[in-house]
Amino acid sequence: MRRYFLFFGSVLLLLSLLIAAWQESRRPRPVALIPTLTGQVEYCLTCHSDLAQISSSHSVKTFGCVVCHGGEPLALDANLAHSTMRGGANPSDDSVVQASCGGDNCHGGSPETYSDHIQRATTSIQATYAGAIASMLYTFGAQPDLTARFAVSVVQDPQSSSGITGLSAFGQVQASNPAIKLFGQNCLNCHISAQPLPGTEYARFTGCAACHTPLTPVGLLPGEGQGVTPQVHKLTTAIPFTQCDTCHNRGNYDLRSMTFQSRQDLPTDRLHAYYQPIAQFTTCEYKLECNDCHTRTEAMGGGSLYGSKKDIQYIRCKTCHGTPTELPLTKTLTDPNDIAFRLAQLNPVIDLKIGDTILMTDKGDPLWNIRPLSDGSYELFDKASGQRYTFKPVKGSGCTQDPSRQDSASCHQCHSVQR
Amino acid sequence: MSSRTLSRRDFLKLARTSVLAACGLLGLGGLIRFLEAQTEPALPTDFDLGPVSDFAPGSRTLRPEIPALVLRTDAGLSVLSLVCTHLGCTVESKPEGYICPCHGSRFDPEGRVRRGPATQPLRSLRFVIPQDGHLHVFTN
Repeated sequence: MRRYFLFFGSVLLLLSLLIAAWQESRRPRPVALIPTLTGQVEYCLTCHSDLAQISSSHSVKTFGCVVCHGGEPLALDANLAHSTMRGGANPSDDSVVQASCGGDNCHGGSPETYSDHIQRATTSIQATYAGAIASMLYTFGAQPDLTARFAVSVVQDPQSSSGITGLSAFGQVQASNPAIKLFGQNCLNCHISAQPLPGTEYARFTGCAACHTPLTPVGLLPGEGQGVTPQVHKLTTAIPFTQCDTCHNRGNYDLRSMTFQSRQDLPTDRLHAYYQPIAQFTTCEYKLECNDCHTRTEAMGGGSLYGSKKDIQYIRCKTCHGTPTELPLTKTLTDPNDIAFRLAQLNPVIDLKIGDTILMTDKGDPLWNIRPLSDGSYELFDKASGQRYTFKPVKGSGCTQDPSRQDSASCHQCHSVQR
Repeated sequence: MSSRTLSRRDFLKLARTSVLAACGLLGLGGLIRFLEAQTEPALPTDFDLGPVSDFAPGSRTLRPEIPALVLRTDAGLSVLSLVCTHLGCTVESKPEGYICPCHGSRFDPEGRVRRGPATQPLRSLRFVIPQDGHLHVFTN
């Protein structure tokens, strides 16, 4: 009996060793990367060597993977390697963005070095939803005026220059009105930290990647990207309108039921991608990308807390076209450290040089993709496709519009297209 | 001719010995593999660029493994690091100077900052030419 026991025991030991050797042989040979920024070995490329570099600004040779994504750099087991990643596959989610993308030299710096992106994004209307919340609370009698007091979650910014230094979480609203409760249940997913609704037309990430990782190729309408495998490991400032449309133009909130009513029509062209049936649009509004006109300050925030979209969104027709009496504002680039050069370097649709003149908003934001031509017209480069357009100023055009009435509704009276 | 038959006891003994020997070999193999495992080498900081005579007067020699540019002028030899002082990307050499492809910092031909976000000039690297006549460059 003892002989049999010893025999089968040794066979069992051999089998165990063979299984261990087999498992060891299946383990991939580690591919080491030592990023120059950290000087620390990481083995992420063992499995992810086929992943496209996320952007030219985030060279994998310089940054590696772990400085942004977290994770266990020396683990060869996928579960262990991924166990401490920040934000899952999206380290730019608001909950982890400071750890992933922050730092003085990266996106957590100061306005003076143009690196305060996290400050801008986390205090922006896109993140707080403060204007809509204030409007709804005022409408249903829960607050006496339209002053913003609440956001999707708590935001404090003692340095805010807008007069609003903090917003409480919507959950702190003391109201018994059922409409307000429904708003909290159904409508607070309208911000960049919320998970998108199901459906490819809503598909986007959260945090920075909500805008900077386009999931529909340039030129395709919302929904047309179905079947196309998007490059999700990508960060870009060449943001097509389709990325904006994953949130905007997707339907309306029904104020009676406080529910989101998605649009049922599928747009067949860009003009009809807009979802305001009675609204009017001019050619540039439906041909260009949204961010060809709307500046980074408008889209990403100005670095302070704002109480309403109108406090930060200020671009008008006259910003680019001027008025019957004035040409649009321009700026000649003399400082090599001008932000215009930085933005043009990130998205090289235009070759800007010292001495070039570009358009500028009345708040000083550079419209770096637009410059005047010698014949009095202007050229604009589409930030997503790079396509060049030309346009003329209002001055000298014979336009008889009152210069003091330059809101878009006035311009649309003559320049809107038939839908 | 006599034939020997293997008893069951001998067979089990032989099999057991064989199995244990295989176990020992496998274990030994694992141990050797464990002992031979090496940590990843750190980034090199000392580069032997060969005979200094290889760098002719007036030459600009790119050494991507550092990365650096070896400049031999009338004033003598100098080695300019091509690592951007902003975040560490490798700058590209252009006729007007150096451009960082990551964030657009620009440096003049002497490595001085012409445009940010970098605020520090490109580093001049330390080097020695010992008796072997080789150019040794240090990045630390």
